[in-house]
Amino acid sequence: MTADIVKPKPGVPVAVLLAGLSIGFFVVVALATGETAQLSGQGVTGLLQRMVALGLVAIGQTFVILVGSIDLSVAALISAVAVLASHVMQGDPAMMLPAILVCLGLCVAVGFVNGALVAYGGINPLIATLGTGLIIQGVLAASFGALQGSVAREFQIIAYGGVLGVPYSLLLLATLSLCAAFVLDRTLFGARIYAVGGNPDGARLAGIRTERVILSAHMVASLFAGAAGLYLAARLQSGTPWIGRDGIYDLESIAVTVIGGTILAGGKGGVAGTLAGVLLFASLDAGFNMLGIDAFLKQVLRGTIVIAAVAVHAVRAKGHVA
Amino acid sequence: MTTVPQTSPSRHRPARIAVNAGLVIFIALYAAIAFLQPNYLEPGLFMNFLRRAAPLVILACGQLYVILTGGFDLSMGAVATLVVLAASILINGDPDATWAVIGALYTMGIAVGLVNGLVITFLKVPSIITTLGTMLLVNGLALAWSGGAARGDLPDNFRNLGRLVWRDVPLIGTLPLAALVLAAFVALAWFGLSGTVYGKRALAVGDNPRAAELAGTPVAATRILAFVVSAVSAVTAGILLGGFSGVSVNAGEGLELQAIAACVIGGAQLLGGRGSIWSAVFGALSLFALFTLLNLLGLPQALRDSIQGLILIAAVGATVWRTRRRT
Amino acid sequence: MTVVPALSMTGISKAFPGVRALDGVDFECLPGEVHAICGENGAGKSTLMKILGGSYRPDAGAIHLAGKAMQFTHPRQAAEAGIAIIHQELSLLPHRTVADNIFMGHEIARRGLLDKAAMRERAAELLRRIGARIDPQALVSSLSIAFQQLVEIAKALLLDTRILVMDEPTAALDERDSRTLLNLVDSLRGDGVSIVYISHRMPEVTAIADRITILKDGRKIWTRPRDAAPISEIVRAMVGRDLKDFYPAAPASMPREVLLSIKGGTNGALRDVTFDVRAGEIIGVAGLEDSGKGALAQALVGDAPFTSGTVALRGQPIALRTPRQATAAGIGYLPGDRKREGLALRQSVRDNALLTLRSMVGLLTRPQRGALADGVIDERLRAMDVRAADFGQEIGTLSGGNQQKAIIVRWLAQASDILVFVEPTRGIDIAAKAAIYETMRVFADSGRCIVVVSSDMPELIGIADRVLVMHQGRISGDVPRGASEEEIMHLALGLADAPSEETGA
Repeated sequence: MTADIVKPKPGVPVAVLLAGLSIGFFVVVALATGETAQLSGQGVTGLLQRMVALGLVAIGQTFVILVGSIDLSVAALISAVAVLASHVMQGDPAMMLPAILVCLGLCVAVGFVNGALVAYGGINPLIATLGTGLIIQGVLAASFGALQGSVAREFQIIAYGGVLGVPYSLLLLATLSLCAAFVLDRTLFGARIYAVGGNPDGARLAGIRTERVILSAHMVASLFAGAAGLYLAARLQSGTPWIGRDGIYDLESIAVTVIGGTILAGGKGGVAGTLAGVLLFASLDAGFNMLGIDAFLKQVLRGTIVIAAVAVHAVRAKGHVA
Repeated sequence: MTTVPQTSPSRHRPARIAVNAGLVIFIALYAAIAFLQPNYLEPGLFMNFLRRAAPLVILACGQLYVILTGGFDLSMGAVATLVVLAASILINGDPDATWAVIGALYTMGIAVGLVNGLVITFLKVPSIITTLGTMLLVNGLALAWSGGAARGDLPDNFRNLGRLVWRDVPLIGTLPLAALVLAAFVALAWFGLSGTVYGKRALAVGDNPRAAELAGTPVAATRILAFVVSAVSAVTAGILLGGFSGVSVNAGEGLELQAIAACVIGGAQLLGGRGSIWSAVFGALSLFALFTLLNLLGLPQALRDSIQGLILIAAVGATVWRTRRRT
Repeated sequence: MTVVPALSMTGISKAFPGVRALDGVDFECLPGEVHAICGENGAGKSTLMKILGGSYRPDAGAIHLAGKAMQFTHPRQAAEAGIAIIHQELSLLPHRTVADNIFMGHEIARRGLLDKAAMRERAAELLRRIGARIDPQALVSSLSIAFQQLVEIAKALLLDTRILVMDEPTAALDERDSRTLLNLVDSLRGDGVSIVYISHRMPEVTAIADRITILKDGRKIWTRPRDAAPISEIVRAMVGRDLKDFYPAAPASMPREVLLSIKGGTNGALRDVTFDVRAGEIIGVAGLEDSGKGALAQALVGDAPFTSGTVALRGQPIALRTPRQATAAGIGYLPGDRKREGLALRQSVRDNALLTLRSMVGLLTRPQRGALADGVIDERLRAMDVRAADFGQEIGTLSGGNQQKAIIVRWLAQASDILVFVEPTRGIDIAAKAAIYETMRVFADSGRCIVVVSSDMPELIGIADRVLVMHQGRISGDVPRGASEEEIMHLALGLADAPSEETGA
């Protein structure tokens, strides 16, 4: 048509911008408060370690949001996994593998139920996953008395051990992030996720079984939530039924995903942006600590940031939102 | 043709008796309670049941306004907590301050409702995310203000709103003040939906906001008002809660989901377009009766969450199933 | 010639409730042939193509591909048989690259791993083949509609497509891009692809098609080689139906004072629109799909307002920035998409008819007061002959015609002076159509006015006192009552400069 070749437009990716912003904020606060120790290798490792739990959940959340769904049950699932892991292990290192398998089995089951309700049941994903989250939370709280226990000391290495000064937890996050990015970018499954999220009707006409893709994305999200639950169990030695809810992992994982440029309608975004969003939250968190802002006020700021972050991306949307 | 108004009398329609699903469920559940504990049939115990159910019923009425317009309000529990904590700090045992502080509490509530409504209508953030955010925000504010623990004191004239019970009332024996507050609030909420044009506007907005907008409906104002009513109901419920259970940092925890579940049980449709004030009232009474029954049966309280989760999924699933079958 | 047709459809019939969409239609397309289908809206073109694409199943008739009988129950099967349909609504992923889009659902992968390099290469090759100078790495959202159209074609070519259906492919393209597309169609023909080409643009059709088939009211009128089908013949065959006598008579009196006056109305989709609407008038608005006729309606009701220009109501300048402002100014709207924009489907007939009245009165008004009373609205609904067992039943259970009447009652109750109707009779039965036309005439004759936007040409000619014709966002003509469909079509096609030559051929 026209003589010009249409070329991809170069531009600074959201992820880079966000990461720069986060690091800038962290450095400025550290210098301003005189906490220069935070800028040492150890301080930075500490900052990055703050990313692990939220990062794991958020990567999973990215999969479901990309496919046009959402998962509000992750917080409850994290608690369930943490409690279950410590209950099955009972401090016995020999039970580590069975415990992990049981937990991942639970995640697969929950992900399957979520995905089936959304993809085959046609139930609004917000309500379906809110519902499953509540069911898990209730069962957990009711049976917690019978589920006491603690993880094996060897299991805690995940949270506290490391090689060459790099904590295993960071390596875990890095590995799983790379895997997730690879899956989204380089595999058939990834391509299908973007297709289903971007244009469900178009995807169906192109012969993609959209229901299966949605179901699989939900299972991925649950498995990542499970990984976060296992990590938290290792860090806290034993799980309680409220660690997921207290960490507000449902809302925050959605917020960082959206901040990272993944759109709620689906079909656009990726892991890099999400991780940058997680880094932003970690820097804010660390910065608030250095500034001595108390825990409750921090919660206020988080609530505000979550709404603002989603608003920045949503405000341009046309039409009505309920 | 239609330009000339005709004056023939309106055709008589057979009056249709609307049997509310919530009412049926409530009667069944209450009968089950009475079967286990016959003294629940005494007027006194029934009045006491109403008194304890009052906050939930009031919250459900507020939540219903939001549900009709197609949204959710998850911040109402946090608002109730804020009310309890703020009241005890502000009044601090001084009975003369009570009424002024109650005025201040309603102002705070209305502010939260306005924020919710404005963010949802103008910034287009889905209500579930907006109100989860304001839930965090309000909860954080309440805890930061109180320092994370109950402090201050509530004077008797404040607490009486929730716990005063008049004895030796003719016919019914006892009459809790909370039951009167409940009746007054339900009457107001009923008036808003059925006594003014607001109710029909809300239903149309929840059913099809685009069509309502093109027909001239003030969609944004209708939505915002719903969130304000919801917040006002949360303040009212918070005042009653402060009265009979005293000051605590988790006074309102989980109430928002109970209110939503209540509306759903009563037949209101999530995501808008269907429901009446009786859905909220009888749905809430049913849910409270269900909790009472489960207590009597010795089931752990913690399972409440699970039951609500099941109710939500089943209710929406049933709607989807109905529409699929029709097409 | 004993070439086996690549596609042959015989005796295809399809009925929908109340409508006979196709009645024994035969159609065939040879390998390497461009076969155009022409017909008015509702003639059955899209139903025929949906049957070919596997979206609908025919009630009767057979489909043969290269002599082999086929039965499609799912679009996937049609695609596998080598049929590709490029719809007017594109099915692309805006946030993905061109290569990703071309390969959607058919990615090159080994053991689940994508071979991106191979896909890029193949995509570049396909794009080269169709002469599109697009980088396979470009994001689709950065492409113009014309380029996106080309990506759709590349997508179709990826799957060894033997039959390519193009539904109004040039509707959104300008002159130069259209020409490029036609060249592409020509070269595909050279490759032996059979192309079914649907278009309203006559010069295009006669330039590119080998054969032309005319559909009208669900039947085939004729199939002729291009040389035996001059434009005048085609248009006559498409139009040549009796203007049914259910259109009401023209008004007795002449139009009166100016009610609404638009000067220089401009926005993203409209350029310098100027016209007056007079009391007593029904103004038709005609144009092709992308001409701006829908945008004009949206601007008049404040849904997608003019960004510059002036609007005056009875000589007073007014702003129409929201539908509510327009409603308050006495402008009512009957949207083209009844279900999505017109009705609250789960509310009662009565509630839908009362929606505007209830929205415009004070918030604390009692619901049964005055005009809001059930009795009053029931009376209006009955006067409009809305048929329902009970006006308390959900409006979603009513027929399209009755739903449409209920929306009209909404605006009559509001006592609006100016009604903007978009496709008022789309998908409704003859009796309801006649009733709606009658209502429109009575409304206008009472000193008010109606602007009716429609794709149904005979409808505009039958009902409107004059017709504004739109082309590329501008008013390209203003024809009085009694104009022919050919005249309007010429203006709509942007052929205003040389109408007589072609009609006289």
